[in-house]
Amino acid sequence: MSASLGVAYIPWTQKYKPKSLSEVIGNDEAKRKIVEWIRSWERGIPDKRAIFIYGPPGVGKTVTVEALANDMNMELIESDASNYRTEEAVRRLAGRASQFGSLFGRRKLILFDELDGITGSADTGGLREIGEIIKTTRVPVILIANDAFEPRFASLRNLCLLIEFKKPSKIEVMKHLAKICAKEGINADEAALRFIAERSGGDVRSAINDLQALAQGKTRLTYEDVSWLASRDRKEEIFNVLRMIFYAKDSSSAKAAVNMADVDLDMLFEWIYENAPHHIKNPHELAAAMDALSKADIYRGRIKETQDWSLIRYVIDLMTAGVASSWSKKSTGWTPFKFPERIKIASASKEERDMLAEIGKRIGRKCHLSSSRAIKEVLPYLRIIFQNNPKMGRGIAKWLDLNDEMITYITESEPLKKT
Amino acid sequence: MSYEMWTEKYRPRTLDEIVDQEEIVGRLKSFVKAKNVPHCIFAGPPGTGKTTAALCLAHDLYGENYREYIMELNASDERGINVVRETVKTFARTKPIGEVTFKILILDEADNMTDDAQQALRRTMERYTETARFILIANYSGKIIEPIQSRCAPFRFTYLPREAIIKRIEYICERENVKILEDGIEAILEIGEGDLRKTINILQTAASVGKPIDAEVVYSVVGKANPHDVRDMMLTALNGDFISARNKLRELTQKYGLSGTDIIKQIHSEIFRLNIPDRWKVKLADIAGEIDYRLIQGASDEIQLSALLARLVEVGYEIKRGL
Repeated sequence: MSASLGVAYIPWTQKYKPKSLSEVIGNDEAKRKIVEWIRSWERGIPDKRAIFIYGPPGVGKTVTVEALANDMNMELIESDASNYRTEEAVRRLAGRASQFGSLFGRRKLILFDELDGITGSADTGGLREIGEIIKTTRVPVILIANDAFEPRFASLRNLCLLIEFKKPSKIEVMKHLAKICAKEGINADEAALRFIAERSGGDVRSAINDLQALAQGKTRLTYEDVSWLASRDRKEEIFNVLRMIFYAKDSSSAKAAVNMADVDLDMLFEWIYENAPHHIKNPHELAAAMDALSKADIYRGRIKETQDWSLIRYVIDLMTAGVASSWSKKSTGWTPFKFPERIKIASASKEERDMLAEIGKRIGRKCHLSSSRAIKEVLPYLRIIFQNNPKMGRGIAKWLDLNDEMITYITESEPLKKT
Repeated sequence: MSYEMWTEKYRPRTLDEIVDQEEIVGRLKSFVKAKNVPHCIFAGPPGTGKTTAALCLAHDLYGENYREYIMELNASDERGINVVRETVKTFARTKPIGEVTFKILILDEADNMTDDAQQALRRTMERYTETARFILIANYSGKIIEPIQSRCAPFRFTYLPREAIIKRIEYICERENVKILEDGIEAILEIGEGDLRKTINILQTAASVGKPIDAEVVYSVVGKANPHDVRDMMLTALNGDFISARNKLRELTQKYGLSGTDIIKQIHSEIFRLNIPDRWKVKLADIAGEIDYRLIQGASDEIQLSALLARLVEVGYEIKRGL
């Protein structure tokens, strides 16, 4: 993704990634324990051959391990959620390395990152194989997960030294952001940095991402520059609601999601309609989901017609449970939710549509046509005439009684130029 | 030199100028002679001269100032019952001054009127027959309610013969000093599909390029005029790309102002031109019919048409699997 943005774009989370443990912010106690444990390997195989680092996202778990490997000049053998982690795959990656690691060249360090992402079906036997490797490994093994206390990690937990990572304090995050600003030549208000740090809730990664989004290329960052982030949080909220609907476990939970949405039903409908085809890829399932929305829309039409709002319950059923139950919910990876295009178009072009209708009316008056048929049958040709032959175009415009604004609209407008 | 749309510039002014609708013109001329006109329905496909015939009739009946004696209403723009109750009534109930004792109300695209409005119209036609005569213009007379049909003299317009259209094209080119080649005429005829308005619009657009009109010029301007057509959208969906198909749909509705009904009509006529097994065509027609019905009931055209596109994606998938 970043490649498409050109050479200049490097995520600051990469650019300012700590090279050494001393640069990793916070969690001093945890870092000390890790270093102690890794040192103990120099005296032979320790009691616990693996450590299990756990803690919330973005607090520096992975970064710590990478910095450690760098400090200790160790070769890091990594597997994260982007890799398959079946029994077979785990053995292929770490089996040999765990046995012959320290004999030649650099010492090795095996990291199983994002263990939460191991799935029962796609990664069959993976967790058990990791356990087997830990029991016999001759090189240090590190596991990372957000929550080490999930039941499925129980047997792994017993084999590992548990190390908790906590959220760094707001002050620590602020200091870190200030350091980055200094290196980027940005003069940042303390209030702005405090706002970003506060919002991040201790997630350093997201704080840095926010900082970059708001400050890159600027020399000054004020509180006003950052306060709009608050509105992004509302968007996060609707994303959660959409997730609950699309990936609902059953029809009641899909329906319940509606109550959590802080937007009106029409708007929620638009969000669902916009995003359904991005998540539901199987043709049969997509057709079923769109059919549910089509039926929901029929009830919307009946409400409009009869003003009987009690029918709204069927709209809700179909747009939530109807969509949720139409597909198998096999995610094809992470898909971001998109803002409803229809709303964008509708709000951007209300004026345009009025203009179009008026043009249609004027053509229709002269050519004995309805406005809609004039737009459909005459305007497309008129547009080309205007482009090809301005003189003829001007003459016709005068004859049709079109004003300058309309002429500009006809000559310059291209389909959906704004989106 | 003044410019206008050639469809208007070359629209016949009198019944004598109308060519190739002899039977119809003959009957209309007899009305002029008798200085009496019944209520009429002019039905037939677009671009076959229905509106022109109505205007020419009025011209011949009332003379140069005929505009003072007629009212032209377009039912697509003003299709509600209120228009009938107010505008139409006000016009219909006053007597004109002069030799002819009635006015003429031309109701274009009358098949787009709501049933309510048609019912109201029926009464109005009866009550004010002495002072006003109605000419209802429609593509399908079947969409006009029976009680109105029975009160009207029917006129059925058909496509102009190929030779008549060619003559018209050549006549206009001569008057406009435009050079047109044989393959240019052929191309215009093909795309014009017998619709004289469309034919002349294409001709004028091609002429605006400023080169002798050959097939290439014609296709290039027509290609620009309809860059994202319905067929393209359907093929995109059949090929499995729902998101792109939906974007094309949005372009058609937002930019080109096509209504859901316009689009479903075009979808329906494209179905049987698709290169897919026959039984799938029938299946698709059935799907289109269902969506057509839902369009009337639903709140949003786009949602309904999107549901149709999703079905196209599904059908395309099935066809590829050889089902």
